[in-house]
Amino acid sequence: MIIYLRAGGQLREKLKPDVDHYTRKVEIDGEKTIAEILKDISVDSAFVALIHVDGKLKDLSFKPSDGQTITLQPPVSGG
Amino acid sequence: MANSSTSSRGLAGTTLRINLSTGEIKRYPTDEKLMREWFGGRGAIAKILYDEVPRDADPLGPENLFIMSAGVMSGCFIPAGAKIGFGSISPLTNGHGDSNMGGHLGPTLKFAGYDMVIMSGISPKPVYLFIDDDTVELRDASQYWGMGSLACEPAMKKDLGEDFEIATIGPAGENGIRFSCITHDFGRQAGRTGQGAVMGSKKLKAIAIRGTCGINVHNLDKLTEQVTAIIKRTQTHPNMAPWQKYGTAFFIEWSNDNAVIPTRNFQTTYFEDIKGISGDALVERCLITHKACFGCWMNCGKYTKAVLPGKETVYLEGPEYETGALCGSNLGMTDINQVAYLNWLMDNVGMDTMSGGGVVAFAMECFQRGLITTDDLEGHTLNWGSVEDTEHFVDMVVHRRGIGEYFAGGTKRAAEKIGRGSEKFAMQVKGQEMSGYDGRYAPGMLLSYMTCDIGAHHNRSWTITVDMAEGRDKVEGRAKVVVYLQHIRPLFDCWCICRLFWGELDIEPEEIVESLNLITGWNIDAAEAFKTSEKIWNLVRCHYLERNKANGRTFDYPPARSWEDKIPTGPSAGKGLTKEQIETMLDEYYACRGWDNDGNPSREVLHDLKLDFAADNIEKIGLLGKPLPNGIPAVRGERYKPKAF
Repeated sequence: MIIYLRAGGQLREKLKPDVDHYTRKVEIDGEKTIAEILKDISVDSAFVALIHVDGKLKDLSFKPSDGQTITLQPPVSGG
Repeated sequence: MANSSTSSRGLAGTTLRINLSTGEIKRYPTDEKLMREWFGGRGAIAKILYDEVPRDADPLGPENLFIMSAGVMSGCFIPAGAKIGFGSISPLTNGHGDSNMGGHLGPTLKFAGYDMVIMSGISPKPVYLFIDDDTVELRDASQYWGMGSLACEPAMKKDLGEDFEIATIGPAGENGIRFSCITHDFGRQAGRTGQGAVMGSKKLKAIAIRGTCGINVHNLDKLTEQVTAIIKRTQTHPNMAPWQKYGTAFFIEWSNDNAVIPTRNFQTTYFEDIKGISGDALVERCLITHKACFGCWMNCGKYTKAVLPGKETVYLEGPEYETGALCGSNLGMTDINQVAYLNWLMDNVGMDTMSGGGVVAFAMECFQRGLITTDDLEGHTLNWGSVEDTEHFVDMVVHRRGIGEYFAGGTKRAAEKIGRGSEKFAMQVKGQEMSGYDGRYAPGMLLSYMTCDIGAHHNRSWTITVDMAEGRDKVEGRAKVVVYLQHIRPLFDCWCICRLFWGELDIEPEEIVESLNLITGWNIDAAEAFKTSEKIWNLVRCHYLERNKANGRTFDYPPARSWEDKIPTGPSAGKGLTKEQIETMLDEYYACRGWDNDGNPSREVLHDLKLDFAADNIEKIGLLGKPLPNGIPAVRGERYKPKAF
């Protein structure tokens, strides 16, 4: 199964995009949570403040389906 | 018009000086050398305050100046160019104070032909400043005096016209509450350092501006090209859509998950009812529509309503993150409608929601500990999570009734009067209340508060993710990052543009300097920008020492809770800093800045920054830093990568 992770800022650097400036393609075996996927690619989920999928808020337990794009937002640099 | 006469582009060309005591209004060509050397905005304000305000002047007296400056980039076609800065000697800190706001006032001041307005004296009666292009008048404000900020603005728009941009103070500012704010555009505030109290002390109720001119820029074609590319690029940035939907409020839950959210007056860093006050709750329950400042494409503002049983439905902008934290978890509020209502309440009375939240939280903890009682509160309680109690207490403070008088000066002054150990949990530095992050297990953040030039404030340096990345138990190496951030972040306040598009949309500092050059024709580089910011920082430090006359280090400590109380609950339970770690951070910070171990700038660093006059002045009062054994660092501060933090 292929999913796409998108991020900017510090998260983008950790994500190591390979599709475009912000996006990384990730191949996963079977159903996994976003927390598990991030762990597999060595991205610390503590730096994820918000997860957006199809315009809806999700959390780290969300299990994406094939082809989905998951947008990860880092924390605001001071409110 | 005045704005076509200047050779330095980005400027409107004229500065106003107004003596409120006599009503005299004078026009001067804007001092281009001042703007170039001090970058306008916060920098120009700092230099004027340093040069012109007597060191013993009462911040709420006639000798203090009240300055409004729109900088060199506000209103100049760049997407975040919407800010205006205000400055005076702060009634909270007794040092240089500045604060800024978005909305439309900054660009409009320049469109009317003015870069700065410098006001002195005290008006014999309430007035408002009326600017309509070339017409500048002080007008009677007796019909508006006493009105809440959120009521005054529409009333003035009705009287003057919708196309006037208006900034007001509320009863808090009129009554000299030292953490009063200035409100504009129904929800944009210059909240910090008590600028609203200074306005009130001068009997200046409001500022109304209509401007119909434009601003010349150095190279419009290239600026257009650059700005268009930035807008195009950032439209697809992953942060943009969530940012537009939630603004900064989305950050509340993350702060809680990572144990930095102040809870019940910073007693702990984890709030068990966070879902009720989260960004998601705001969008679900309160949001009416999104709102943007002049020319901005991020629209982080959230126009909302607060609906509470037994209360009239109120409409406001917010709460954004800081208000959400400081009037939410920090007061034990469990419902976003409660937070929004308190946001409206404080906005309307004209009280900074950050300091206001801090002051109420401090009073609630005093009540929790029996240091104040219902006898002190006109028979009321002051319990965590109670909107009614908060509303009554705020009314006591705004009108200085009874014990409200103690709190009218902020937490530091209140703690000095209440005593009995309350100083330990008066969560402020230099008199200004802390922002919405607890630094006990985020050492760089605590150092940021301790060393902030205007008292505890996150705006100058924010390091939570640096602390996480580098290790939250470790304090070594944090100072150089804090110093770097204290140089780059205040630049936005000099140029009067919003900082958020840098931090959130990956705009490089070099790109912003390029915009500056295309606007002004100054041809500077990022290194010069950082050094100018460092010069301003050091001048403000010298000014603080000259006014408060003691070694700088004595002013740089947080309250004792910061090292005496470990975090009691949540993911960081048991964690905290020691006093020794705090001393280590200060030692490193001073060395990094080229200051001596007493926290006083050395002559060598002041000379390097062309501040010999300030070195002479602090030497006269015995506060010039001793020469450093190994000389000063060639570059103070170290750029932190990854850049966005």
